[in-house]
Amino acid sequence: MRLEIGNINIKDVQLGNETKVEKGVLYVNQEELAKVTGDDERIASVEVYLAKPGEETRIIPVKDVIEPRVKVSGSGGIFPGFISKVDTVGEGRTHVLKGAAVVTTGKIVGFQEGIIDMSGPGAEYTPFSKTLNIVVKVDPIDGLHQHEHEAVVRLAGFRAAAYIGEAGRNVEPDDVQVYETKPLLEQAAEYPNLPKVAYVYMLQTQGLLHDTYVYGVDAKRIIPTLIYPTEVMDGAIVSGNCVSACDKNPTYVHQNSPVIHDLYELHGKEINFIGCVITNENVTLADKERSSNMTAKLVELIGAEAVIISEEGFGNPDADLVMNCRKIEKKGIKTVLITDEYAGQDGASQSLADSTPEGDAVVTAGNANEVITLPPMKTVIGYPEVADVIAGGSAGSLKEDGSITAEIQVITGATNELGFNYLTAKGL
Amino acid sequence: MVKEIESTGLPIVHMCTVVPISLTVGANRIVPTVAIPHPLGNPALSQEDEKELRRKLVRKALMALETEVDGQTVFDQ
Repeated sequence: MRLEIGNINIKDVQLGNETKVEKGVLYVNQEELAKVTGDDERIASVEVYLAKPGEETRIIPVKDVIEPRVKVSGSGGIFPGFISKVDTVGEGRTHVLKGAAVVTTGKIVGFQEGIIDMSGPGAEYTPFSKTLNIVVKVDPIDGLHQHEHEAVVRLAGFRAAAYIGEAGRNVEPDDVQVYETKPLLEQAAEYPNLPKVAYVYMLQTQGLLHDTYVYGVDAKRIIPTLIYPTEVMDGAIVSGNCVSACDKNPTYVHQNSPVIHDLYELHGKEINFIGCVITNENVTLADKERSSNMTAKLVELIGAEAVIISEEGFGNPDADLVMNCRKIEKKGIKTVLITDEYAGQDGASQSLADSTPEGDAVVTAGNANEVITLPPMKTVIGYPEVADVIAGGSAGSLKEDGSITAEIQVITGATNELGFNYLTAKGL
Repeated sequence: MVKEIESTGLPIVHMCTVVPISLTVGANRIVPTVAIPHPLGNPALSQEDEKELRRKLVRKALMALETEVDGQTVFDQ
């Protein structure tokens, strides 16, 4: 599969009479966007805000972040299984409004939602302080069940992103990147002297509002399968997650997975990136065993010599990570794991819930329990009082002056396990 | 907690869903349970069947408590 990503660099976003891109400025018709976003009888109101880098603005609670894109050629459309039919994506050309993002907020769905600060210390922890954010505040009608509420806001975000992305259809991109993975035997033969590397992409699927979707299917119901990396880049995987904000993958991160991008960067130079296996993180032992067995088998089947495994979330998914590692290593295939840590506020506790001697190459995205104080902001979009209840916050997190003291767990993307974050470490 | 209590000489049964974690942390008597969100129940069952399920799990745990073990043992029969 060969996918062209045409990046249209967005330098500013403004509200205007027409939704369009002109000379790098994205204009958004507020009324039209609100109408498209709110096109669901279960939605009571939609409000549209802009939040730009450097502004004294806080968005809370953040449910999802989505990159506006449009499919200009090739099969399928944006968010197959949700916005478009389930046709296979991942080939042809997709235009991206690079630098812009749709952020969904509103009354809290589950207690594990996040915070984005556009300036101040919190901004250094979230990648979405650097994007030009079009925030849609979606509030549902009364009496909606929590799971339905989640679906309502999830779909509203996709409609908003698809509507805005459409503005890039006839714009000449500033740059076009080409990504290609060939059918397996052909791909394996292309670089016979380079090590064959695959990617095991773990998707959060614990249920109870911790869900990820693949072509519209709830990923807890899949058995692990192969997917072209370009399908992932092209919107086949989306987030329905209210899991801890720091280490869930918002839809934007699935669309821009740094693991996939970096593997492509080295493809044909240092490695032969032969494919991607998606797997889940379910809540029964039989599911965990079955999925890790299947994952190890698929990795072996495609002839990988080494794999990168990324986790999403923490806690019992650590067991899935460890099972994947152990079972793949037992087949003589090398693994590198990417995770984050819950090592306590002082960093002295055990970082993961499970461990294995085979896990001897691990990359950490940071300790989610680190405590931070976020200063008050001039503008708060959403509902600041949820700071006391979201995961990483506690009663009293929100102070009278509007500041918030909580673990960095509350910040969207702070310890993202695909590396879509800014935390780094330096040796002394 | 399992290890701390056991170190005082009291036998312990760890009832848990993710058995491999229990094995990693060093529990000696392990009884597998239903699912992480509902280890000792199953909302998909009728109330009567769920009660029976819970009773069976508790009985199994009591049986495990009475059983002499030589190293880590998973009671998964």
